[in-house]
Amino acid sequence: MSNFNRRDFLKASAGVAAGTAAVGVGGEALAQAKGAPALNLKPEKGAKLRVLKWKRFVQGDEDLFNANIKKFSAQTGIEVRIDYEGFEDVRPKAAVAANVGSGPDVIYGFFDDPHLYPEKLLDVTDVANYLGNKYGGWYDVCKTYGMSGNKWISIPLGAAGATFVHRISHMQAAGFKEFPKDMKGFLDLCKALKAKGTPAGFALGNATGDGNAWCHWLVWAFGGRMVDEKNNVVINSPETIKALEYAKELYATFIPGTLSWLDPNNNKAFLDGLISVTNNGISVYYAAKNATDPKVKEMTADIGHAPFPIGPVGRGTELHLFTEAMIFKYTKAPQAAKAFVTFMMEKEQYEPWQQASIGYVTQPLKAYESNPIWTSDPKNTPYRDCVKNMTPNSFAGKLGYASAGTMADFVMVNMVAEAASGSKSPKEAAERAEARAKRYYKV
Amino acid sequence: MSDKAPDTAGMDYLQTLPRRWVTVYIPMIVFLILLLFPFYWMAMTAFKPNEELVSRAANPFWIVSPTLAHFEKLLFRTDYPQWMWNTVLVSVVSTFASLAASVFAAYAIERLRFRGAKQTGLAIFLAYLVPPSILFIPLAAIVVQLGLFDTRWALILTYPTFLIPFCTWLLMGYFRSIPYELEECALIDGATRWQILVKIILPLAVPGLISAGIFAFTLSWNEFIYALTFVSSSETKTVPVGVVTELVEGDVYHWGALMAGALLGSLPVAVLYSFFVEYYVSGMTGAVKE
Repeated sequence: MSNFNRRDFLKASAGVAAGTAAVGVGGEALAQAKGAPALNLKPEKGAKLRVLKWKRFVQGDEDLFNANIKKFSAQTGIEVRIDYEGFEDVRPKAAVAANVGSGPDVIYGFFDDPHLYPEKLLDVTDVANYLGNKYGGWYDVCKTYGMSGNKWISIPLGAAGATFVHRISHMQAAGFKEFPKDMKGFLDLCKALKAKGTPAGFALGNATGDGNAWCHWLVWAFGGRMVDEKNNVVINSPETIKALEYAKELYATFIPGTLSWLDPNNNKAFLDGLISVTNNGISVYYAAKNATDPKVKEMTADIGHAPFPIGPVGRGTELHLFTEAMIFKYTKAPQAAKAFVTFMMEKEQYEPWQQASIGYVTQPLKAYESNPIWTSDPKNTPYRDCVKNMTPNSFAGKLGYASAGTMADFVMVNMVAEAASGSKSPKEAAERAEARAKRYYKV
Repeated sequence: MSDKAPDTAGMDYLQTLPRRWVTVYIPMIVFLILLLFPFYWMAMTAFKPNEELVSRAANPFWIVSPTLAHFEKLLFRTDYPQWMWNTVLVSVVSTFASLAASVFAAYAIERLRFRGAKQTGLAIFLAYLVPPSILFIPLAAIVVQLGLFDTRWALILTYPTFLIPFCTWLLMGYFRSIPYELEECALIDGATRWQILVKIILPLAVPGLISAGIFAFTLSWNEFIYALTFVSSSETKTVPVGVVTELVEGDVYHWGALMAGALLGSLPVAVLYSFFVEYYVSGMTGAVKE
């Protein structure tokens, strides 16, 4: 059994703070760390934890996460059992756990999950304040996802960020020295790439990650939004129509077949040399870097990453696969669960885990911007700011059942696909999206 | 019958070779291609090396350098053998349990003719129409209360919720095709209801039982949503959930190993079908003639 007690935990926290100072994080973070209140946790005697997390995106993620768990158990004596599920299968399992009041003590979910059953989750305000004070504060979007009213109901782990992955040589051959930063430039680039026979390709099927990411970005970039601040459905707007007209022009530059693409299709097409630009996580670069096929490996140096271009709204409108830790009230060891979640977010664990994940997960805490993973390879750097530039999927309304349902039903993606392919006019596509979204938001 | 010599030519003039091609061979070839192509694709992908899987230059319908690497990964670097064992155990036990319950239910509804028998039959059928995506949360609550969460028993006991209605409905139809006279003769000879069921009805209903059994086995073999939500530990997962968990990493799908898993996973069902195909067909058509 554990001999871990409050004093030990405070000692461990002090050690972490000292370590933080030694390696030197951002000045703001350090200043706040000095004034950070200690976390007063008393893990229960004989506590055992069960954790459910999404299956790795890259091998290093799981290896380091497991190593950190071992470290936690060694330091605290708390036994932790972790199970993994595919990232799209975590939601039903979490819903069952919340509804029946039994299951894993900690679940790493996605997007709106904590807002589907906020009353079933443990208040983790103390943990969030402690981490926020110590590590330079949370990005704004983390507060949106993590808080319900004035209290924190989940601890953000980060987001599987995406950028515009492109072939540098193809871009240059098309007459562009660097990746465009605005919508007009991006459309011009795609047209030029198409003319050169090296087209772009973006998923327009029901792709949970890639499809949602780029379609939301596109509509938001022109000022369109699913709902207003009061959750009234306002997708059928002149701004959305502009975005859909743009999508139609853009789609004409794509490789054929993108209407049926799911998440893996653009990875395969890119690595096969069929497309020159797509939106994706760092996995394409990782796959090329570690490829045994010399042709694919050669591609590594030619792969570039660029942030999503900025639209007429004049700010970043990115959507990334956001993930957070939820502790359920039914847990018999709430203090141990909090200690576990805190431990995994501490610099000693979080930064090596981020490095092992080759930057697949972008941090929610500002201090981790200085993690060497973002600068050791310049191609990783664009992924560093994904959470900083992120907009919540519920924009501009509130997170909850309706926003989760609307995204799970691919309302935004289907609207863009219908308008882009010409199966519906932009106006008709927006009207259909409006009708579909209203079904969720009227509840 | 006519006393005239039989006209051996009959309507053979309609069965000319070109006509046979148009009415039999070509439709059958098209049907076979549609039916078998997914299996062909699955087998091709399972034996293709990764280089050929992602290469544009490679022939998508053929393999140049076949490999067993995907099977090696599946069998030795995942818990696949354990998932397979779990799937077999869960499917076999839940199928037999469901068949036993369904035989009693179907016999009672069809033969005991109690008041409300028809309505009961209809209600059982309606229960089959409730989708598992609605049932899994209330069922999960029961599973938790029984302390069966994350055990194979959670699946063995919940699969009959959709297997029993299906098998009962199928067996009701089959029992209906068995003549009443057989039972009446047995009753006159002094047989009890139990003896009639065991010694008369069940031997005659073997094709129907096999047919229902194969269907029930296939349904439990492929079941996903209950297996996903009622079980968490890798060592208690079934094949459909295990392969998806282990071989899909975010947006990277290990197609070779996934298809190898699907191929190995479909073999037991295919073998079962091939052994019992004749019974299966007669079970579907109601074989006992008056």
